Amino acid sequence: MSSVALKDPRRTRELARTSAPFLILALMLVAFYVLPQLSGREATVFNVFNSMQNFAALGLVALALGLTMIAGEFDLSVVGMYGLGSMLAVMTGKDSALLGLGIALLAGLFVGLVQGTIIAKLRINSMPVTLGGYLLLLGLTATIGHDDSQSYPNLSVGSSLDSVVAQIFSLRSLVAVGVFVVVTLAMRYTRLGRDIRAIGGDRRASRTAGVPVDRMLIGVFALSSVLSALAGALIAYSLATATPDPGLAPLIFAITAVLLGGVTLAGGQGAALAIAAGAITLSLLQELFSILGTPTYVSSLITGGLLVLVTIIAAPDLKQWWRTVRTRRGGPTASAASVGSSPAATVTGER
Amino acid sequence: MTAIALRVNQLLDRRSLPVAQLLLRVITAAFAAILVIGALTTEGFLSVDNVKAILGSTAFVGIIAVGITVIMLSGNLFSLSLGTTTAVCAMLFLFALQAGIVVAIVATVALGAVLGAAQGLLIGSIGANAIIVTIGAGALQEGGAVWASGGSAVFPPKNAPGMSFLADTILGVPFAVYVLVVLAVAGEYLMRRTRFGREIYLMGENKRAARAAALPIVALTAGAFAVAGACAAIAGVLIGAFNQNASLLVSGTFTYDAIAAALVGGSVVTGGRGSIARTVAGAVVIATISDLLLLRGYSTGVQILVKGAVVLVVVVLLHINQREGER
Repeated sequence: MSSVALKDPRRTRELARTSAPFLILALMLVAFYVLPQLSGREATVFNVFNSMQNFAALGLVALALGLTMIAGEFDLSVVGMYGLGSMLAVMTGKDSALLGLGIALLAGLFVGLVQGTIIAKLRINSMPVTLGGYLLLLGLTATIGHDDSQSYPNLSVGSSLDSVVAQIFSLRSLVAVGVFVVVTLAMRYTRLGRDIRAIGGDRRASRTAGVPVDRMLIGVFALSSVLSALAGALIAYSLATATPDPGLAPLIFAITAVLLGGVTLAGGQGAALAIAAGAITLSLLQELFSILGTPTYVSSLITGGLLVLVTIIAAPDLKQWWRTVRTRRGGPTASAASVGSSPAATVTGER
Repeated sequence: MTAIALRVNQLLDRRSLPVAQLLLRVITAAFAAILVIGALTTEGFLSVDNVKAILGSTAFVGIIAVGITVIMLSGNLFSLSLGTTTAVCAMLFLFALQAGIVVAIVATVALGAVLGAAQGLLIGSIGANAIIVTIGAGALQEGGAVWASGGSAVFPPKNAPGMSFLADTILGVPFAVYVLVVLAVAGEYLMRRTRFGREIYLMGENKRAARAAALPIVALTAGAFAVAGACAAIAGVLIGAFNQNASLLVSGTFTYDAIAAALVGGSVVTGGRGSIARTVAGAVVIATISDLLLLRGYSTGVQILVKGAVVLVVVVLLHINQREGER
């Protein structure tokens, strides 16, 4: 397979895959600048600031989900932990915001460790486990919040978190940027990045090669829940309120951002920086909707459509399917192409 | 090297398994005990009226759960948009009533089946992830419903033609319960006695074998999701007739309740194992738990919490039991 002839196109494809998130971001930036002008409006620096505010909350959720996807798993519970994080911060942080944040992060750590341990030690599909986890967290959030939105009395916390820094940032979005920088550096310059990709790409081989698979998996899920809790706590202080049910919108954002960032569902590929690019692209898109005054249902249609679209592009059997269709049109040798298809169809199974 | 690693893993498994199993049996037993004690000590739980109420609330969830079981058996995890499909279908049904009850029902079930089949086509043909496709499809359905309805609730036309039977009770039992029974029997027949059903089981059990045997993977997946969409549509018809109005709020917790019912009934998310009959039993369990919590005055939050815990425990238990069976 590693013949010289194959090497070049492969490298080209790899380059295309890794640079695509940033190209899409560049296109988005152009659209962000040009589209409002076409309808007599203008994108201001404040709109960029707003996008980064959105990125501060949902970008972290995207990173949380993305890390589990790189490791070949899927954490559906991120949006549950996001909700619980905000509710805990509001309910326990009335006297001290730091205490509330700390409790939210500790809860995230605990939830992540439990889910990760179940998934790693029992070798069980992470989707049903984290679905149960999501429901549990949703119920817990609603129970703690007495089935209602809870407001946070200390408004100064939010305004200091959201005060403008360097025109387009706030303390809150700088926290998110900082997290992305740390994770990017850790994945690039330590074993961690290689190990996470290894257990996502070929778990059995990485076990044999001495990667502490179980510990890595538990760590990834713990990090995922902590990041989601952090995002939830910060947004709750910013809005001075926590809702009993954040809905599926944060999850839709996160999945779309991660897929835009070039992470595949099969695992083994992806980088934090590209996930950031995907999340910023989506944040700009959502801000664009509000600049253009797009009706909610239209943005809902576009968001849903975009998710389906990136899912199609990221689908493991897309190439196979296209080849089969073409061959079928061409001649009778078609059925051979559809046998032996990629085993990646079962996304989160043990490899 | 790989062989050694495998062997080591097996040994590790063998050692840790009984402890986990014991723990989980204890949890299950404790849970069953809580249920029984709760049932005996809760006032009004063991009354005829309450049993009827449980059956009634089983019906809607059960009908959607029958559909989701077919998806699970086909090896495509679950759908996260069936609640939305139910709501969209309830809205269409009430709107279409002006053309007559038969047309309305047929159109609604057709819409549900088409919505499901479209998602199934995507999932089956290119191996797109079922969960993500259905989440995206849910957002699309919501957007489409708001666009079509202008964002307001849909009410049936005045003097709606003969839909009252859909919300009636026969012999003290809601009509929806009879629909669930008929659907469950028909579903069991479909899955056990027809080629379609058996091929779905095979595909869920071993997708590669199914591919090698040249089973029509795409058609089967589309079919499974179409059945699920149609079931959600039937639930939508009944809910629309029962509430006399419909909006996106109808979706409520149906999606998760239906998944919980199928899981509690013992269907394995990765496919091939489980049955519609067991799902219906699971729906009864879920409805009973909800009813018990409601009677004891627990909030919605606690109800969701308990369902989540039940799902988590059942998923883990089933997984361990299945692994033991393979040994």
